[in-house]
Amino acid sequence: MIQTKGLTKYYGSLPALVDLDISIEKGDIFGFIGPNGAGKTTTMRILATLLEPTRGTAFVDGLDVTKQGKEVRRRVGYMPDFMGVYDDLKVFEYLEFFAAAFGIERKRRSTIVEGVLELTDLKSKRNADVDSLSRGMQQRLGVARVLIHDPKALILDEPASGLDPRARIEIRELLRELKRMGKTIMISSHILSELEEICDHVGIVEHGRLVFSGTLEEIVARLGIQSKVRVKVMNNQRQAVELLSALPQVRQVDTQDDYIAVTFHDGQTGDGIIARTLVNGGVDIICIQPERLKLDDAFLQLTKGIVH
Amino acid sequence: MVGAISSLCKTLNPAQLTGPIFSKELRVSSRRRRNYALRFIYLAFLTGFVVVSWLAAMQISAQAGTALQVARMSLVGMTVITAVIWFQFIATQLIAIIMLSTSISDEIHHQTLGILMTTPINSLQIVMGKLLSKLFQLILLLTISLPLLAIVRVFGGVPWSYVISGLCITLTAAVFAGSLSLYFSTSSRRAYVVILKTAFSLAILYAFIPAILLAILQGHPLQIRFLSYLALLNPFGVMQVETMSMFSPLAAQPISFFPWHWHCLAVLVATALVLGRCVQVIRRVALRVAAGQLSWDSKRRQRRRQKNSTKADRHPDKSKGVITRVDRPPVVWKEFRGPLIEGPGSRNSIIGLIITLTALLITYAVCAHENCLDKDGTHTSYVLLFLLLALVVNLVLSAASITSEKETRSWAILLATPIDDWHILLGKVLGVFRRCLPIWLLLAGHVLFFVLAGYINPVAVFHLTLLVAWTAVFICGCGLYFSARLRRTTAAVVANIAVALVLWAVVPLLLGLVSQVSRDDDILEAYVSANPLVQAVVVTFGAAGEYNAHAPLSSLRYKWPGYTASMGRTTGVLLTSVCIYVLAGLFLAWRAKRRFRRNIF
Repeated sequence: MIQTKGLTKYYGSLPALVDLDISIEKGDIFGFIGPNGAGKTTTMRILATLLEPTRGTAFVDGLDVTKQGKEVRRRVGYMPDFMGVYDDLKVFEYLEFFAAAFGIERKRRSTIVEGVLELTDLKSKRNADVDSLSRGMQQRLGVARVLIHDPKALILDEPASGLDPRARIEIRELLRELKRMGKTIMISSHILSELEEICDHVGIVEHGRLVFSGTLEEIVARLGIQSKVRVKVMNNQRQAVELLSALPQVRQVDTQDDYIAVTFHDGQTGDGIIARTLVNGGVDIICIQPERLKLDDAFLQLTKGIVH
Repeated sequence: MVGAISSLCKTLNPAQLTGPIFSKELRVSSRRRRNYALRFIYLAFLTGFVVVSWLAAMQISAQAGTALQVARMSLVGMTVITAVIWFQFIATQLIAIIMLSTSISDEIHHQTLGILMTTPINSLQIVMGKLLSKLFQLILLLTISLPLLAIVRVFGGVPWSYVISGLCITLTAAVFAGSLSLYFSTSSRRAYVVILKTAFSLAILYAFIPAILLAILQGHPLQIRFLSYLALLNPFGVMQVETMSMFSPLAAQPISFFPWHWHCLAVLVATALVLGRCVQVIRRVALRVAAGQLSWDSKRRQRRRQKNSTKADRHPDKSKGVITRVDRPPVVWKEFRGPLIEGPGSRNSIIGLIITLTALLITYAVCAHENCLDKDGTHTSYVLLFLLLALVVNLVLSAASITSEKETRSWAILLATPIDDWHILLGKVLGVFRRCLPIWLLLAGHVLFFVLAGYINPVAVFHLTLLVAWTAVFICGCGLYFSARLRRTTAAVVANIAVALVLWAVVPLLLGLVSQVSRDDDILEAYVSANPLVQAVVVTFGAAGEYNAHAPLSSLRYKWPGYTASMGRTTGVLLTSVCIYVLAGLFLAWRAKRRFRRNIF
């Protein structure tokens, strides 16, 4: 659905993007991650036809963003990292204005606007002034705006920035709903834990270059991160450590405060073995908790230049 | 008592007054390239002005013999000094207004005013720091001309008192204009609004009120005494009196009741009052900003918003009447959605409108009473006034049309829709025309009413329509171009106004001076004939008045600079202007469209 080939953008002599190649399949949620100034927003602006690349090509639904800008705009819903509001417009008018801008027939506009208001839970604010809405409401209105023309692809630049936890959860739920509706979503965020929960694929950029692109599992494999399990026992912690250290799958056992951290050899896992070994050894278990790879850790490792 | 005096002295201590704001402003301004550019432009204009004045004055002397030339050197000196002093007098006021137009609003915009208020810096230090730092730069500009003034004085005839009084009047007038600008910047976000508010306030103070009062006091024995009181507060009057006194000391005596230093003192007192009000207001503004309310939102508007939001929250389906449907192309709908006269619900707008209309009716009543409604000069003045107003409004609104969207960051979102760029351009053009309509209607109303009343020949309607058409199209195209090219509204407005000033004021002035040197008026006459203000004067003067109003078209005579023309030739001149300026306007609008998708962010 979205593809870039050798996408490059220079601001004067400063490279913002260098030979960026990404590919997003239809119906995927693609998390775009990178430190500030990495080139995420530039990429998104190029895909939204608001910037022209210095070199390279970008396609949305098979259309070239530089040559078929108008057609691309019909297929894309772009939400920038800021909320552009018109003074003195009401929520309904704001959405209807964009419905008209996207060429939706007058007869259908009202129904469509009511529909997106319902979807984004803004029905109670339909008569409120746009610039009087709270930040969370404005973000939701931004999402409502990008949905107004039923685009195939959504490009969302930091949609959850500056929102309180409740609003972030609401936005996340909304994105899940959109995924269920079959939309292709490209989303950038600094709150990596949120992307982790909703993204199928992630792309990590640094200094305008794509450092990594793939699924979370592929990140694990790429970084060679071993599977870890945390074990908390009621008594006999020393005995538990001895039992676990003797297991052939286990690479390392560490005692940390009141729990035991078990690291397996590459590609090995074994929550069941741990449970069985400890129960047979007479150790009472409180909990066994597999430690998931955090996107933050992957991000830190990848953007530190550990992986080449 | 001693404690109070000591406290006052401490407060008024220059080091205490300026504080860290002053040094910060100086540091920041020293890093801004535009300040160096400003100095360069100022100096270039001043030098150009002096050179042309010098050449013009010398040319006149060159016609005479050597003895007379030597005798006339003092006159040349006086002419050049007068040109420099008047140039500085007007330029420094304009620069002060522009420089201080963002002083407080920028602090509010960058949310630093609240932070300043959490420091021991007091409101007086903020106000004085801002004012004095800009004043410092103004003094620098004035100082640039001092060597020049000193050299020209060598020719003789120019008393030191004139140089000193001119500089003092200039400085105090600039400080007053700047302090007004600073005051308005506490309540308006946009610099161009502050500039316009200040310019209109000064115009009302220096021209409108005196004109109304003089009209009322026409023929009254107190008129002369009244004039002197007016001069006390009017720097233009005082400067005029000082200039007249230098050229012919006896001519200015009857109205020169007050020496210039009294005027300077009065202006400084007025400045202190304005600054005092600023100091009062600034903390309130900071508190409102800190509380999350934007200072430029009036309380009334906030209350209305709050009320609407609450109403919408409680009864989401009951207040549907307030929503207007998009029933035409979206950009056109948005541009036409607002009220024709800005803020009709606002009490201030209505009061302002009533005051303006009342004042206008008073002037009509005075004209009727003085039997001058059938004079060509009366209608020419009105047409000129309305045209000037419309030009200013058109210049501002066209330049703000796209940059205001860039500033509210809605421009990128609009461009991310599939709306054609031509449709956006059309919507913007129609929006500008529509917003300027009330001012053009004033002109149309005046002309049509007096055509029907038999005081203006109907052909003036045709001629003025041509004039309005080309000025509106050209200014709109030019404004849209700057609006598409620049990011900030203030920059676009200043650029648009600068183009108009250069085209219709600076170039004719320089051409006028050059023509005195070259003794060739043809270029000047042709150029000036395309000036909108000259065209307004010529076509109204030629068609208004007791005789012209009822004269057949063939006997109408229009006095263009350098020649008299018939109605047909006048129409030809106007149509030529229409062709040139409309084409230029359309070209600029097309260039604006081409730049829509550049400089978006």
